[in-house]
Amino acid sequence: MSRVTAASKGLASCHLCQKVASVELDKCPRCGTALHSRKSNSLNRTLALLCTATILYIPANICPIMITDQLGSSIESTILGGVVLLIQMDSIPVAAIIFIASVMVPVGKLLSLFYLCWTVKFGSSVSSRQRTIAYRITELIGKWSMIDVFVVSILVALVQIGKVLVIRPGIASIAFAALVIVTMIAAEGFDPRLFWDKEEENHD
Amino acid sequence: MSMHTHSDDRMACPSCDQLYDMSGLEYGQKARCGTCNHLLASYRKHAYAHVVAFSISGLIFFVLACRYPFMSFKSSGMESIMTLPQAITQIKGEGMWDLAILVACFILIIPALVMVLTGALGISLLAGWRNYWAKDVAKLIFHLQVWSMVEVFFIGVLVSLFKIAHMATVGIGIAFWSYAAFAIFFTLMLSNLDTFYTWKRLEELEP
Repeated sequence: MSRVTAASKGLASCHLCQKVASVELDKCPRCGTALHSRKSNSLNRTLALLCTATILYIPANICPIMITDQLGSSIESTILGGVVLLIQMDSIPVAAIIFIASVMVPVGKLLSLFYLCWTVKFGSSVSSRQRTIAYRITELIGKWSMIDVFVVSILVALVQIGKVLVIRPGIASIAFAALVIVTMIAAEGFDPRLFWDKEEENHD
Repeated sequence: MSMHTHSDDRMACPSCDQLYDMSGLEYGQKARCGTCNHLLASYRKHAYAHVVAFSISGLIFFVLACRYPFMSFKSSGMESIMTLPQAITQIKGEGMWDLAILVACFILIIPALVMVLTGALGISLLAGWRNYWAKDVAKLIFHLQVWSMVEVFFIGVLVSLFKIAHMATVGIGIAFWSYAAFAIFFTLMLSNLDTFYTWKRLEELEP
């Protein structure tokens, strides 16, 4: 049984305002955005951005995200180092938040998008519905990785006690912010309708 | 009813392209895609009045959040008090101007811009004005809203509170509570701005 989709009726829905119009139009008749049945070149764009994000992941984890200068000695801490420190301080819930937001979410997001791109090319035993839901979750949680960058920003602004105790931002903070931004654009550029197209193609 | 008015109620699910006729949806109801469960639209009563109210209240709290001390930190007899704009200049002062710009955009500039624009759009839709700028404003809002990180920042603030609570005495200022209120109003405002109905109304009000 084939579904009634916009594409099957020769229609396309505008990416911005969701107006349904004839696919032959170049521009959305309502908001003027370029009209495509599917996001153009979405698979290649998403994959390119995912590769960029993977490269950014290296400096984001190796370089220090925060430098603490206390009475002349300076301590550099990385993202994982910060989590370990929090566990040693017995702040398990805070350590868990940072670990989930800064380690699990970005890695999970990269893996999930790579996997979803792969299934568009080669098909999958997981249903399109489940993959669409997985994509929606990936898209939704993306910006929450920014927590650690904001934590560093607040600490830098707040902990400024003359020469006694100063916190400075490390290079990883900007690498990590870039990583989050790139993965957000990658998720936005991906088109979950490709799962369904593939499924219909296999049915015919 | 002509064919033309009917066609305005069509919607295709952004996740799976399933075509729907939305004309049956009533006030207070939400529509989900039967194929993939994506939330298609939520038809709220007095949506634009709520948008305007939340926008104005939110902007008042935004001004307070920028104007007053956000947090204070006291150690070894010295105290440092921070406001949100100072936080940005402090990051810039450490040589990280790129990080300063990003943080400023995500937590202050984009959220405030979205709130002002959404308030203006809400007033225009509520009053039923046929103006030329409403569509452009709506386009800008739907592009920008993804990049507002108000709620993420607030969780970040709570985490940093826990992180430094053992180092010194940490105080919470008026701006902290104002920003929390701003974040709540921001979320409420956007939840009343439904994509489908906003654009439908904009189309009806075409000049």
